Amino acid sequence: MFNRRTLSIIKRELREKVLSRGFVLMTLLVPFLFIGLILFQMYLMSYDSNATASLEIISGSEQITSAAQKEFSSLPVVESGSYKISYATMSKEKFDASLPSLQNELMGEKLTGLIYIPDSAVNDKRIDYYSKNPNNNSLFDKLKGSLNKILVNIHFAGKELSDKEISYATKAVDFNGFRISGSKNIKAEGQGNQALSFIFTFLLYLSLIFSGTMIMRSVLQEKNNKIVEVLLSSVDSKELMTGKILGAGITGIAQMAIWLLPLIMIISTSWFVLPKDFTIDITLFQVFYVLLNFFIGLITFLGLFATVGSIFDNDQDAQSSMWPLMMLILIPFYIAISIQNNPEGMIGMVASMFPFAAIIVMPARMALVDIPVWQFVLAVVVNIATMVGIFPLAGKIYRVGILMSGKKPKWNEVVRWLKYKY
Amino acid sequence: MFALEVRNLSKSFGSLKAVDDVSFAVPEGSVFGLIGRNGAGKTTTIRMMMNIYLPDSGEVILKGSKIGQEFKNMVGYLPEERGLYKKMSVLETLLFFAELKGKTGKSIERKANEYLERFELSDRKNAKVEDLSKGNQQKVQFITTIIHDPEFIILDEPFSGLDPINTNLLKEIILDLKKQGKVIIFSTHLMDFAERMCDHITMIDKGKVILNGSMTEIKSKYAQQNVSINYRGDISFLNGNPIIEKIEDYGNSTGIKVKQPDQVQELLKALVENNITITKFNANEISLQEIFVGLAGGEIEGASKLEVKNV
Repeated sequence: MFNRRTLSIIKRELREKVLSRGFVLMTLLVPFLFIGLILFQMYLMSYDSNATASLEIISGSEQITSAAQKEFSSLPVVESGSYKISYATMSKEKFDASLPSLQNELMGEKLTGLIYIPDSAVNDKRIDYYSKNPNNNSLFDKLKGSLNKILVNIHFAGKELSDKEISYATKAVDFNGFRISGSKNIKAEGQGNQALSFIFTFLLYLSLIFSGTMIMRSVLQEKNNKIVEVLLSSVDSKELMTGKILGAGITGIAQMAIWLLPLIMIISTSWFVLPKDFTIDITLFQVFYVLLNFFIGLITFLGLFATVGSIFDNDQDAQSSMWPLMMLILIPFYIAISIQNNPEGMIGMVASMFPFAAIIVMPARMALVDIPVWQFVLAVVVNIATMVGIFPLAGKIYRVGILMSGKKPKWNEVVRWLKYKY
Repeated sequence: MFALEVRNLSKSFGSLKAVDDVSFAVPEGSVFGLIGRNGAGKTTTIRMMMNIYLPDSGEVILKGSKIGQEFKNMVGYLPEERGLYKKMSVLETLLFFAELKGKTGKSIERKANEYLERFELSDRKNAKVEDLSKGNQQKVQFITTIIHDPEFIILDEPFSGLDPINTNLLKEIILDLKKQGKVIIFSTHLMDFAERMCDHITMIDKGKVILNGSMTEIKSKYAQQNVSINYRGDISFLNGNPIIEKIEDYGNSTGIKVKQPDQVQELLKALVENNITITKFNANEISLQEIFVGLAGGEIEGASKLEVKNV
């Protein structure tokens, strides 16, 4: 299967692919795309924090009103002028009666919301919010802490508690994540590994789809341009398929290595210093594992995509029939994203060692939790077994498919091809 | 001495028997024609000879042993469905196909340049294939077929889609290769081309061999009772004449088959006696087309119902 003819085909594939504009652009652009996405997200967040609001805080007693006035005036969003707050004191009955007259103001642009703090809030911390958009979490997040502080202060006033004690009572709980792993010291964990898990997921997904559609197109093109029979007069279909897949596989793994290069540099050199919250806890061995795991998976998927390309003779038919393959990539992609919340969950664990899914889910999971060696090994074994299991079938369909033209074959016909003596 | 022997090849696709027990032998140094209408099984037979299809049964023998990769290396094959990588340059294309046959290095590059020179493509050698005219792309395709100096040249419907200039060019190449002692095998449904170029033919129809042998033998065998005439007048009086076996109108000539070889003179006499103006009377002459129609029936050009294209 592997000989000088296969090598010639690999060489041609590499010349065509690696030197193509699409490949160079894609390889260079993806890291920028990432940085762009992160900047965009930061922009969205800052845009959100700049959102303006005009609020009216009405409380049941003078005591609350003046405390609120004092507390909110030092709030950053109020100081910056984004939030404009007016204050009033009103009993519950009077407030309820005047609510209808405020309705128009609330419906218009003038007033974002109305906060009513009844006297009872000092004991049960229940306050009301009236607005067109009554579930404005970003607004609540900004006010919650201050409101809590006001209520707690009043609640404990005169109860002989020191400021220190009150300040303790008003403080929110702060979770500090520590990663427990077998051999290493216990280290505080930032968000770096979560980001890494996402980056692995995204890159693997992107590369599988990109390389897959590329080889599918390439096979289709050979069929359409009628080169395939000329090629078959020199090489057999197995050599052709092997050459094309290895050519595309080498291209894909090189691309992935280029994308992971910054990561490798961060781990193995001290040239880059990451912010404390974004330190990455991963070993060089794990990065190479990602590459190995990906290479096996990539070869498997390239085989499948090449097969789909061989079955059809035009882009549309092929595109519309490749959804089962897309599912094999998309489902693991979503699993890999969802395990960010709970990487030890059953689904994540099974998927990280399941045929096809292991390719994307294992690296994503590996970045989040410590994985026992047997699971690493099992995932590789499963991936290799999947590849070995699929190739004889894919090769047979490919062999028949590349010489077929004319009407779009049905799936049962394709199954029949498996029985042809070719 | 046979260069290549095809023994009892059969191949079915589902319920369709595309090739049914086909055997023939290709003599050394010959131009060999595999003849039949579209869908007769020519391409399937050739694909089995090229080891692109595995036969259901039968074998192809090269110098005493079954064909394999070494045969592929010594063949230049021009399939009916042919093409090139559009984005590759002309020279790259030639070197790539030579490399697949195991030929690399300076000598093959020199050879590529020689061929480009001969086919007047030297100035385009760094152009992309897609930027060439269709005729020039065909020339590049010819060169890829013969650049590795093959012992066998197998051409499947070589003249389909060629413009007149390239048709002549290809004929020259074939004759040139013949002079060099190469074995040329080509399939065609064009009887007159086959007739002019082949020394040996095998005629197949509906997957079966219906005629096999050297062109001169076949012709002398079938020609004895045949007369080809051009005339003015009405020859309907011949219908029902006891010496006539059948009359076929081929458009530009009429073929008449008599029952016994010695009845040809009687036929001429009858025509003259009935005041038919004879402009051409060719006894013992038969075209391949006539032989084919006589054996297979129906028109050669018409598409067969058993069309098996590219299976």
